[in-house]
Amino acid sequence: MSPLERAEANFAWKLVLPTIAVLSLLILYPLLYNIYLSFFDVQLNGDKAFVGLGNYTKLLANPDYYSAIGTTALYLLGTVVGTTLLGLAMALLLKDPFPGRGLVNAAIMLPYVAPVISVVFGWQFLFDPISGVFNYLMVDVLHIWTERVNLIGDPDSALGVVILFDIWKHAPIAYMLILSKLVSIPRDQYEAASIDGYGPVGRFFHVTLPELHFVLATVILLRLIWNLNRFEDVYLLAPNVQTLPIFTYYQAFTGVIDQGLAAATSVIQLGVLCVFIWFYIKKVMKW
Amino acid sequence: MLGKRTIKGRIGFAFAVVMLVCFSLLPFAQILSTSLKHQFDWGNPSLIPQALNLNAYKELLGLTEVKKVEIPVAIQKILDNPKLPQDKKDAIAAKYVANDNLFPFGKYMLNSIMFSVGAAFISLIFAVMGAYAISRLRFKGQVVIQRSVLFVYMVGGVLLMVPLYQMAMNIGLASTMWGSVVCLFLIYIVQTLPVGMYMLGNYFRGIPFALEEAAMMDGCSRTEAIIKVVLPLSLPMLATVFIYCFIIGWNEYLFASVFLKQYPEFHTLPLALQELFVSKNAIWDRIMAASMLTLAPIVVCFLFASRFMKGGKTDGGVKG
Amino acid sequence: MASISLKNIVKNYGKTSVVKNIDLEIEDGEFVVLVGPSGCGKSTTLRMIAGLEQASSGDIVIGDKVMNDIEPQHRNIAMVFQNYALYPHKSVRENIVFALRRLKVDEQELQRRLVEISEMLQLEELLDRKPADLSGGQRQRVAMGRAIIRDADVFLFDEPLSNLDAKLRGHMRTEIGKIHNKFGRTSVYVTHDQIEAMTLADKVVVLHDGYIAQAGTPMEIYLDPVNIFVAQFIGSPSMNIVDATLHNDYLQLGEHKLPRNKLSAVSFDDEIPSEGQPVKVGIRPDFFNDKKYFTQSDSSFIFEAMTIELVEPMGFDKEVLFNLAGASIKARLDLRSDVKRGEKLDLLIDLSRVLLFDTNSELRL
Repeated sequence: MSPLERAEANFAWKLVLPTIAVLSLLILYPLLYNIYLSFFDVQLNGDKAFVGLGNYTKLLANPDYYSAIGTTALYLLGTVVGTTLLGLAMALLLKDPFPGRGLVNAAIMLPYVAPVISVVFGWQFLFDPISGVFNYLMVDVLHIWTERVNLIGDPDSALGVVILFDIWKHAPIAYMLILSKLVSIPRDQYEAASIDGYGPVGRFFHVTLPELHFVLATVILLRLIWNLNRFEDVYLLAPNVQTLPIFTYYQAFTGVIDQGLAAATSVIQLGVLCVFIWFYIKKVMKW
Repeated sequence: MLGKRTIKGRIGFAFAVVMLVCFSLLPFAQILSTSLKHQFDWGNPSLIPQALNLNAYKELLGLTEVKKVEIPVAIQKILDNPKLPQDKKDAIAAKYVANDNLFPFGKYMLNSIMFSVGAAFISLIFAVMGAYAISRLRFKGQVVIQRSVLFVYMVGGVLLMVPLYQMAMNIGLASTMWGSVVCLFLIYIVQTLPVGMYMLGNYFRGIPFALEEAAMMDGCSRTEAIIKVVLPLSLPMLATVFIYCFIIGWNEYLFASVFLKQYPEFHTLPLALQELFVSKNAIWDRIMAASMLTLAPIVVCFLFASRFMKGGKTDGGVKG
Repeated sequence: MASISLKNIVKNYGKTSVVKNIDLEIEDGEFVVLVGPSGCGKSTTLRMIAGLEQASSGDIVIGDKVMNDIEPQHRNIAMVFQNYALYPHKSVRENIVFALRRLKVDEQELQRRLVEISEMLQLEELLDRKPADLSGGQRQRVAMGRAIIRDADVFLFDEPLSNLDAKLRGHMRTEIGKIHNKFGRTSVYVTHDQIEAMTLADKVVVLHDGYIAQAGTPMEIYLDPVNIFVAQFIGSPSMNIVDATLHNDYLQLGEHKLPRNKLSAVSFDDEIPSEGQPVKVGIRPDFFNDKKYFTQSDSSFIFEAMTIELVEPMGFDKEVLFNLAGASIKARLDLRSDVKRGEKLDLLIDLSRVLLFDTNSELRL
């Protein structure tokens, strides 16, 4: 290494040092500390007592844990499929320029940037049994239901609302990712396919989809990764829908507090997350 | 010609776009509508209020007069006692002046701004430094750091809430008010830093390296080249990253609830709104107005950022 | 102003070695062109002179100072980049004077130089524009202006014309030549275009595979290449290479016997018997002539009645293809020769222009 190269490396280290410091202190270390905590009975005030694998055995014997896993699986399935399909549909619909496209884009992106805390109230009102438009439509206009229903009050139907909410909020991001790939497909590929006799459907399956499979995989993996940890969107809209993050939150900070158990839940979840992330880094990552 | 549209196709397209926009905007419209409605109007499915009600906004923005509460005679006597020190008198008087119903929206908004702007700012500085090093400089460990940042980016807050809370507890920060504030501030930095670094890293990589080399040939040191060439070119992205980080902080609920729940004077907007919602004082128009006001800065920032993003400034400096 | 000397420069990237060993002296005021195919190490060499890359070993001396550990900004070098690297956020004016501003050059002096340079490069009208609003040729001129406005010891050019179309390239080449004549600064110019190399250089350095294949004046390189690589790389169309056998008195080239004593460009090693030795013969297309229009001399040789297989008219001259000793040979004739495909033609060469190369080492004999 020449002195100039060494100087460059030193400069680089100086620049990344603050980042490394805060990230290791406040993310990497806590992840390890979490594993440590999962072997203890931990009180809210910090007192600990070693229990070995006790938290894990307790967790695996808890039927609520399995029900949370089931809810999470449904949540992931619904949101990933819904977000990807809606994002794809939006991208296909809006890929060609038209007057007002900028405004439409802004309107579509708004759910993504809006604070969860604000929009959940809008959603709650929409599904409110007394004043909500949804019940009005189902009961008074379409006469599908005979009486008004509290959709968010019942955990089973609330899961549906929560999934719909997530699709509404995160389809824009799928749309953005897919669109940017979509517009980069060279036009002459479509022209060649149409000269070869393919109509719009044929062009979609033979040109568009093969070009998109990579970005679709990205979207699906990213949705899985983010939604596995999704807390606010679920908890604030329907606190009775117990996906794993909410289950963990309740264990850690409400009712009969058991932070060791929450730590154990997080450790298992981290394992699953790592598999997703590994997959993402190996197969998809471009940076 | 591909993509030729018939009349039917155009109508179908317009219909689909309108449906999409409605789907995206309906909840916002509902919030706005309800915030402007009187209570008797809530059950009315129409989005347009029968009579405009601005009381909720006035109240939140502190435009209504503070209601004077009668101070009982017995208490007044105590207050008139000259032996009592002035601060004790004020404390007692405050109990009777304070309006139970009042929701100090301005204070919460200030808290939110303090946390999210502060964290976004520090995060941006760190992110610029880190992203530059990772995308431009050659050093051992570059790849490892790069991947770690990506990994950390994807670890969600729920996995960290217990250990972070316990760490703060162990060093005594979580048990004091200011300690909790510091914790939350640090956590917001950490929550936004990886995203910022990721976005900026990708952006820096898109700036031709030859520009910095040219600056160095023109006599600039590395640092000068960064300040005089790279940063001016990155302004739109810097603004975007700042806004993005700001939005993350502004929207955050989980850690605010873990660290600040028992310190109402530092409640951020999400926390305050949730508390309001579960409290007895939940009135739809007030909640909706508060939501609207929480939403507004984000919408403004977002529109600003999306406009700012359009000028891709690097083309032209390098071959066309 | 300064001389440059590169002493045993080596550059490795991990295990791959890009520059293997370069030893080069560049005199004060000299215009040196580094030329070679892509991947030969020419750009890396230039960037090492600039300080943008560090040599893995060896010394770089500019003037009398060893520059190895001096940062680029302290080497007092100006450079024109391949993609121009203009600062997109600065106007043309600010691009050009950026370095002077940094040096806190007196405002009056700065304006004087700006006017001088922008007149020379015809940039007066463009000074307030941004690079994005300029054409490729204009950007190129701004990049030139930014480099020459400074009092740099050395000018470096990294394929500065490669992004221009053919016509502009020719024009800018002439301009660069003029500018060099005016300022007389030490210049190092990298290109893969042998015409740029031939026209601009005081000294051409042909690089091949990380080594210097040959360094010399343009005419030395053209007439006296040291090996087949240099012979074929310089000159367009490139030199014909044909297998032949060397005998005691003559060179057997197909059915033709070329008298050995007339091959004055070849230095024969008399010690080693050469009877039947296989060799490669190199003849530039430019050195064939139509017998009808050329007077013969002592050293002339005529390939009689060659069947022309293809004619490519170029305007003033035309390239014709014929078969010689089993190889397809190209000859460049002028517009007087009115030969058609399939016709027979007598072609004349000057034997002093015929080069011989060793079959194995490909080095000149």
